[in-house]
This record gives sequence, structure tokens and C-alpha cells, in this order.
Amino acid sequence: MTTAVQPGGGGGRPQPSGLADVIDTILDKGLVIDAYVRVSLVGIELVTIDARVVVASVDTYLRFAEAVNRLDISQEKEGLTDLVGDITEDGAHGKAKGALDAAGEKLRSLTSDGEDDERGQRAGRSSRRSR
Amino acid sequence: MTAQADTAVYVYGIMPGDVEFEEQPTGVGTPPSPVRLVHYRDIAALVSDVNVSSPLGTTDDLLIHEELLDASAAAVPVLPLRFGAVVANENVVADELLEPYYAEFSEALEELEGYQEYIVRGSYVHEAILREIMAEDPQAAALSGQIRGADPAASREGQIQLGQLISERLASKRTLDTQELLDTLADRVGMSVVRSPGDDYEAVHAAFLVEATDADQVTSAVSDLAAGWEGRIDLRVIGPVAAYDFVVTTGPSPGG
Repeated sequence: MTTAVQPGGGGGRPQPSGLADVIDTILDKGLVIDAYVRVSLVGIELVTIDARVVVASVDTYLRFAEAVNRLDISQEKEGLTDLVGDITEDGAHGKAKGALDAAGEKLRSLTSDGEDDERGQRAGRSSRRSR
Repeated sequence: MTAQADTAVYVYGIMPGDVEFEEQPTGVGTPPSPVRLVHYRDIAALVSDVNVSSPLGTTDDLLIHEELLDASAAAVPVLPLRFGAVVANENVVADELLEPYYAEFSEALEELEGYQEYIVRGSYVHEAILREIMAEDPQAAALSGQIRGADPAASREGQIQLGQLISERLASKRTLDTQELLDTLADRVGMSVVRSPGDDYEAVHAAFLVEATDADQVTSAVSDLAAGWEGRIDLRVIGPVAAYDFVVTTGPSPGG
């Protein structure tokens, strides 16, 4: 077994379905402990994470069609353009995605340059000791 | 067997042993414990204790896992582990993880030295992209015209047809726009991975391994691209983050 630094997807193996936000990075990417440690693994229950998987389906198609329909209406009556954004997320999906988006938003702000303070507080700044 | 069965060790990632945290951060789990390094020679694993009886995976847990690794990656090369890695105790980390795989972890860390991961992600502006498709595609425009004002139940087939057409057009646009992103950054990045789209309107989603000294060039190239795509694609850069997309376990493991 080798721990290689190389693209972990895209090129070689087919990618699994896309997940909603960068938070899924840590559920989908990185080294898998099971590949290294077997005997002394401890199974801890993982809370189910409701991530939205994109699958082209009739539902998706109907959402697109509806969005276009609203689009035409909004061309005729100004001020209705907001509907385009609203109707493309139905109940359950919208909710799950919303939660993930909120988490992703937080993450983005934490990883952006300007927000180093907050990140420092939560995660601790790290630096390298001089050798 | 001692009475330690209710506590286990959560492993975040592997990094050089000379990393230091300015403040003592706490880790995942309820209640969270302080994170620490378990050393073997000149490498170390970042770990914290967790209670085996309380489930992991709250929003805080996920954020903390990522923040700890990203904060570390800002200073040193890091091999991130996928969320949820828990082993029996600290000795296991040293004896069953770091020691047997020392050579390959060291090599991978050396390769990552000086590089950081950036994720570029963009969403189509819904209305703009739908108008673009309707303007470019007479068939879609015609279908839309037929459906509008018709009884929704009766026009269901047409709606599905129209939606499928839009889905296909979006996929083609995604491919073209992703290629433009890759071409734009090709000379400035070490490696790239195209990620799967995360939602219906995702335009581009890719991870790049960038040399720290090229980071400014990369972000400014993305800014230029974002300016060109303004009103059509909302583009953002996430990073630097730990190199999640570029560390992989390959090949058969020893002993099957």
C-alpha cells in the first residue's frame, strides 16, 4: 500500500455522486483509517448527515421546467424574478441544502483571509517550530 | 483489559511532528477534549479523546475536524483523514498507524511540502443561465411556449422533455466552463481534480494543489475569471485547505 499524493478522483476512478458543499470534503475525501488500522478500530456511531446528492431525475426536470415557466412570467411582469430562486428548491431538499449551505458559509468565512481571528479561536493557530 | 473502554482516540490527520498550536484547541465529540499530537520519529498524528458512547457528526464536529486540519495545513503539510477515524487508544496510533506506514507517510508529507489545496466553486445565476439556454436553443424555447398556459397535468410530458433538455444544456455548459477554469489555472497549479457537481445549478467545482508562492497568482486569475463571468456565474475560492483531494491510499495493503 502507498499513500500517494495524486489526484484522488476525476481521472482514474469514477467519482461518486456530488455532495452539497465543501463540508462533504471530510466525509468523502482524505485517507481512510480502515486501510491502515484494522484490529484496533473503534466503531462510533456517526450521526446521519443529510447531504443532497444530485441525480438527474424526473423531479429535477420538472423543477427546471417550472423555473423556465416562472422565468417567462417574470419577463412579462417585472418584480417577480425572485420566484425563480424560490421555486427551484422544494421542501425537504431545500431544507437539507440550506443547513449545509449555512455550514459551508461558515466554513468559507473561516477559511478566508479576513477571518483568521475566529479561526484561531476555534481551531487554534498552528505554526512550525524552528528546527 | 483496563477500565478505558469508554474512551477512544479520534484521529484527524498526520503531519510533521514539529507543528505547534498557539492555543490549546479542543476537538470533536461531546464534551470535547483537548487535541494533542502522538509522535513517532519526526511525524505525528493529531488526535483527541472521544467518548465511545456519544455519536459523532454534529455540525460542530464536522467544522472542528476541518478547521483543525486546515489550520494545521496553513503551517505544515498535512495528510487529512476522512471524518470518523477512531482507534482504541494512543498506543494504537503510534504502533499500528505511524510506525508501520512511516515511510509512505513521510514521503507523502515531503511531496506536499510547500503546497496547499484550493477549491474553486461556482454556481450559475439561475435566471441568467435559463435565459441563456432559452435564447440559444430554439427547441427549448418552443417547448416552453407550448407549456405556458397549458393545463399542467396535460403538459407533464412536455415539461419533462423541457427539463431534460435544460439539464443536458447545463451539463454541456458545465463541461465548457470547467474546461475554461482548468485552462486558466493550468500553468499556475501543480495538480487538479474536477469534483462532481453539488447541485442542479453548479457551474464549476474543482480542487487545485497550489504552491504557496503561486497562491496570489491563482486567486487573482480566479478573480479575473469571476469578473468575466459576472452576472452569469457566482464564483468563489475556498482555501487554503488541507489537501483532501490529493491524498489517496493506493495499492494492496500488506497482508491482504
